[in-house]
Amino acid sequence: MSPVAITVKNTSKCFGKVKAVTNLSFEVEADNCFGFLGPNGAGKTTMMKMLYGKCTIDNTDGASIDVFGYNPVKDELAIKYLSGVVPQENNLDEELDVISNLMVYSRFYALPRKAATSRIDYLLGFMELSDKRSSRIRELSGGMQRRLVIARALMNNPKLLILDEPTTGLDPQVRHLIWDKLRQLKRHGTTILLTTHYMEEAFALCDTILIMDKGAGILRGSPAELLTQNIEKHVLEITGSHSLETTADGAMLQKLRIDRTQETTRVYCDDDQLLRSLTGRLEGAHYFLRQSNLEDVFLKATGRALNEKQ
Amino acid sequence: MKSSKPYPYPPLARRLFGVWFRHTRVYTKNIFSNGLPPFLEPLLFLAGVGLGLGKYITQSMEGLTYIEFLGTGLIMTAAMFTASFECTFGTFIRMEFEKVYDGMLAAPITANNLIIGEIIWAGTKGFFFSFAVLCVLTCFGIITLPRGLLAPFVGFFTGMMFSVMALLVTSFVRTINHFNFYFSGFISPMFFFSGVVFPVSNLPAYVRPFAEVIPLTHSVRLTRAVCAGQYNWFLLLDMLYIIVFILVIGFFAVNRLKKRLVY
Repeated sequence: MSPVAITVKNTSKCFGKVKAVTNLSFEVEADNCFGFLGPNGAGKTTMMKMLYGKCTIDNTDGASIDVFGYNPVKDELAIKYLSGVVPQENNLDEELDVISNLMVYSRFYALPRKAATSRIDYLLGFMELSDKRSSRIRELSGGMQRRLVIARALMNNPKLLILDEPTTGLDPQVRHLIWDKLRQLKRHGTTILLTTHYMEEAFALCDTILIMDKGAGILRGSPAELLTQNIEKHVLEITGSHSLETTADGAMLQKLRIDRTQETTRVYCDDDQLLRSLTGRLEGAHYFLRQSNLEDVFLKATGRALNEKQ
Repeated sequence: MKSSKPYPYPPLARRLFGVWFRHTRVYTKNIFSNGLPPFLEPLLFLAGVGLGLGKYITQSMEGLTYIEFLGTGLIMTAAMFTASFECTFGTFIRMEFEKVYDGMLAAPITANNLIIGEIIWAGTKGFFFSFAVLCVLTCFGIITLPRGLLAPFVGFFTGMMFSVMALLVTSFVRTINHFNFYFSGFISPMFFFSGVVFPVSNLPAYVRPFAEVIPLTHSVRLTRAVCAGQYNWFLLLDMLYIIVFILVIGFFAVNRLKKRLVY
């Protein structure tokens, strides 16, 4: 097991009457990728902001955060110096071009000019932006802007990379490129913390996933553990309104878990033979038999209904 | 994984410099459109007075011709206006619309560093804008060098003074339109009641204390003294006023605005 990079204990955060994070505890191992999953408003972003001092931490009993041995309240600068942050919203300096954006940022780390220039060349190459160095920010596509924000976060060769929805709204090519780069960084010893709404992203990158809902952590484990421990192996999706009760007999129904929305019925079961035999009785209905995935776990854990923050 | 010695994050001066460097870089990116108006504005003013208004004002003011009197006042209003705009609209846009501060605060800079960097930058703009007016006045022989060369330094402190005031206002403002109240209610009156266009001593006795309370009066008095080379001990009080103003209002501005950046 790797040493622990981040320890969060009993941490809470309220904005007025709104509880964003409630009594959350978790640990992140060094050189690992740790992912937060959760509906909008679950407290993922707030939790990440508390790690680098962008959000204050509520002064509750036993609350503590430790990032590489530093406390965000007292050692904000040390943590920021060791970390790179990719926020949810691209906040590049639109008045400056690509190279100036990075140059200005290198000053915040007091990198000597020469070192900064070579670092910037390397980062532009790494994020495949070398031919965009003198472009204005507005001329860049969403994917390029995102890659530039990631390059900026890597300026000081961070030990910890914090990414808030790194690939939301990007096309598959860019997404896969970013995934590759993140894997590469992890291999070279960067601890990665990310939030995402894409289950396949969490599955592809994360060593550990924490599913959050309403400010609390509800499930934690590796992607494989989450699947084996929390959900049946197979699922039969039937579209259209279909009365399962008429097709399946009572003994069969006992072995199934049924999840209904208006247009779709999902039948979960560990035994795919059973589901297969069930499909034989579905005359004319559209159905799809598949292995269950992280999204099924997510929906089971956080519920299907929308909450007031979504 | 306890690390015993603190990490070598940049010292305070480098952090403030980082913020200052960002603003300078953005400002000089459009050097033509940003750098020319500070020279054109005083030209327009002097043309208006020299060609028209000046003929009607023959009386000397505090021992100066009217064009000298007004010109030295304009050195300070230039610093006042630029610092006020920079730290109201400018700061608000960076904070709420462009989210530039969020990006900067992910680097090793505290919110305090960022705001103080902002104040120093506004001072720098005050210096530059005062310098521009000084150049124009010198070209027209209204001010003789080298005496006036101290005026931009007064402009630096005037810029800082109006930036802390502006930042304090910004910390209260929820929508950008609210700044209109600040400009028409506070900054514009300052232009008329602080001895820029006519001497404070000509104000009715009951208004005069008011003129002594507002910040620009002190900057203007210092600049005139500097440009005319007439010093007296009372100027120390003006300097004291400016420094105390920056420290006290700055303290409240930093603390209030910080809560908008780190919440």
